[in-house]
Amino acid sequence: MKELVDQIQARLRDQKIEISDEDIESRLKKLIVDFRVPEGEARRSVLNYFFKEHGIVPQARAGSEKVKIAEIKESGKWVDLEVKVLDLWEPASQTISQTGLVGDITGSMKFVKWSKSELPNLELGRSYLLKKLVTDEFQGRFSVKLNRTSQIEPLDVDVEAKPASKSAKPVTIMEINEPGQWVDIKVKVAQLWEANSEAISQSGLVGDETGTIKFVKWVKADLPDLEDGKSYLLKNLVTDEFQGRFSVKLNRTSQIEPLDVDVVIGSIAAEFSGALVDVQKGSGLIKRCPVCKRSLAKGVCSDHGKVDGTYDLRIKAVLDDGRRVQDVLVNRETTERLINLTLEEAKQMAMEALDHEVVHSLIESKLMGRYYSITGPRMDRYLLVESINEIPPVSLTHVDELITAAEVA
Amino acid sequence: MAGFSREVAKRIFAEELKSSNYSFRDGEDQHQYAPSYLLTPTGAKCNRVFVVGTLTEKDDIGGDTEYWRGRVVDPTGSILIYAGQYQPEAAQILANMEAPSYVAVVGKPNLYQTDDGNIIISLRAESIQRVDENTRNQWILDTARRTLERLEALKNARPVPVSSDFATADSVPASSSSSTPAQDNDRALQHYHTDIEHFRQMVLRALSSLKADLAKSDMPPETKIAKSAIAEGEKKPAATPTAPEEMPSSRKSKPKKSEPNNTWPAPENEEEVETINFGKKS
Repeated sequence: MKELVDQIQARLRDQKIEISDEDIESRLKKLIVDFRVPEGEARRSVLNYFFKEHGIVPQARAGSEKVKIAEIKESGKWVDLEVKVLDLWEPASQTISQTGLVGDITGSMKFVKWSKSELPNLELGRSYLLKKLVTDEFQGRFSVKLNRTSQIEPLDVDVEAKPASKSAKPVTIMEINEPGQWVDIKVKVAQLWEANSEAISQSGLVGDETGTIKFVKWVKADLPDLEDGKSYLLKNLVTDEFQGRFSVKLNRTSQIEPLDVDVVIGSIAAEFSGALVDVQKGSGLIKRCPVCKRSLAKGVCSDHGKVDGTYDLRIKAVLDDGRRVQDVLVNRETTERLINLTLEEAKQMAMEALDHEVVHSLIESKLMGRYYSITGPRMDRYLLVESINEIPPVSLTHVDELITAAEVA
Repeated sequence: MAGFSREVAKRIFAEELKSSNYSFRDGEDQHQYAPSYLLTPTGAKCNRVFVVGTLTEKDDIGGDTEYWRGRVVDPTGSILIYAGQYQPEAAQILANMEAPSYVAVVGKPNLYQTDDGNIIISLRAESIQRVDENTRNQWILDTARRTLERLEALKNARPVPVSSDFATADSVPASSSSSTPAQDNDRALQHYHTDIEHFRQMVLRALSSLKADLAKSDMPPETKIAKSAIAEGEKKPAATPTAPEEMPSSRKSKPKKSEPNNTWPAPENEEEVETINFGKKS
């Protein structure tokens, strides 16, 4: 309470208003204690009361406080910011005169300047004191809006800004590990999928030498279509995450530049070590569609109908290190080596047993529960196994190390 | 949540599993199909666990249909696993397996309260497979590591006072949305009053017994260690000098394996369940 009173006193003194602590406190108490008003709201209300009392019309609905960008954690607050303009984007609507990114030492944030504000334009790279902005929030990310009551004062000093995390930076697919980042990527289109929503114009997989990632191009983005197998520089995409898997979204601010060079997909390997905890359906002896190579369900391809499939051997499994799970795909060559059985032998085995499942069971009996370390490129949720090795036997040294660690813990 | 992501299989020593008596359903809403979790004393929230150990016994305890029960032993104790008509592959493998042998089990923890109020934990096996000794050793190291990590995280946890209607039944409402690891830790401390030192000693015992096992098979290069370790390893593999207060205990955890029903203090009514204090053991 004392703190609130002091804060209010400070603000009143700025306006050369003298009110006794008791008066302030009794008003605050009434709001907070009798009427359960949150402290912030109570402070605002008491301030406004005394301002009004003394004929001071607040320019904004409430006084704005000078804050740092990182301190903005609530929407609907009036704030002053000393910032540098880090980026300017094409406004997506006529109601917006300017939009982009401003930053200070603590971070960066999107800003929107409404056309109605009739404020002068901000220049890229210049520093300003922006007064009476309103904070806003969309899907957990904050922005500031410049409206009619806002003021712009150019600063002579240069505001030191943290490298803008939201200004797009060139990255490789592997480096994408956080949602809400703006990135540029050089990729080849690996797959195009049927769009499953009217808001999406294209989706699929794109990849570079470090891996592949799902992309979504919104209809609203109004961008040209990507072609399967072509390479592009995709600029100003936003990263997104769903259940631990990342994707990139192409929106209205994104750009597509075709590349002359061919981007090679996925030669840099990811690694994972853990216990093999599941051998999934679709492992073992399978049939593939001769046209699209997809695996058949009861002899039927989802695209090409009933076809005469060709045999293949593969493993779909789950590795688990006690903290994360990793889906893995093992191709025929590696599967043959791993279970010491060729495709021909597997066919023979299935024929004798009159059941494909025997191959599945054999895989389970050889791999389940064992510890492996694997490497290979990532493709969507799968790690395509290039090398798979059983983890070498536990040595006394390993155990001793852990005992020592446990003893000092 | 609209999508489906596979639950991680947690690594928990048998002794810790046996000390667990708190399960709840979690998810955005508490409907009957929400996944159920076991919260262990060190704060592991498990829908699935991975255990590797020695299958010491197996029985068909079913009537008309086969219902297989097995006992899997690790350096800290033993845990019962079950596989019946709804786990046909696991049941078949268990049926055809010889005891003793090393097995890897992926299963769902299951709490069962007997009529007289005892709580018995078991694993409903999703899969059982015979493995080699190396895999068993890997698992001990792996589980020791994960357990130490949990203990470390637990040091920063604070028990939060929560409503007292903890129970083991399905009816227990948990938080309204999925809990965070920190909340799990707080909850574990609140419910179990976890004695961190007790579980650290458990990990050390497991590692020491693994060390003794390794020394035995590693005879030539490490003769000296091996000799002393063998003597110990053969007599009381788990009761190592690092845990003198545990000396009287056998290789198994305190609950004696032949009488699982007596290993839990019998609470007088359901409200009492949460006050079960396994910590008294240490």
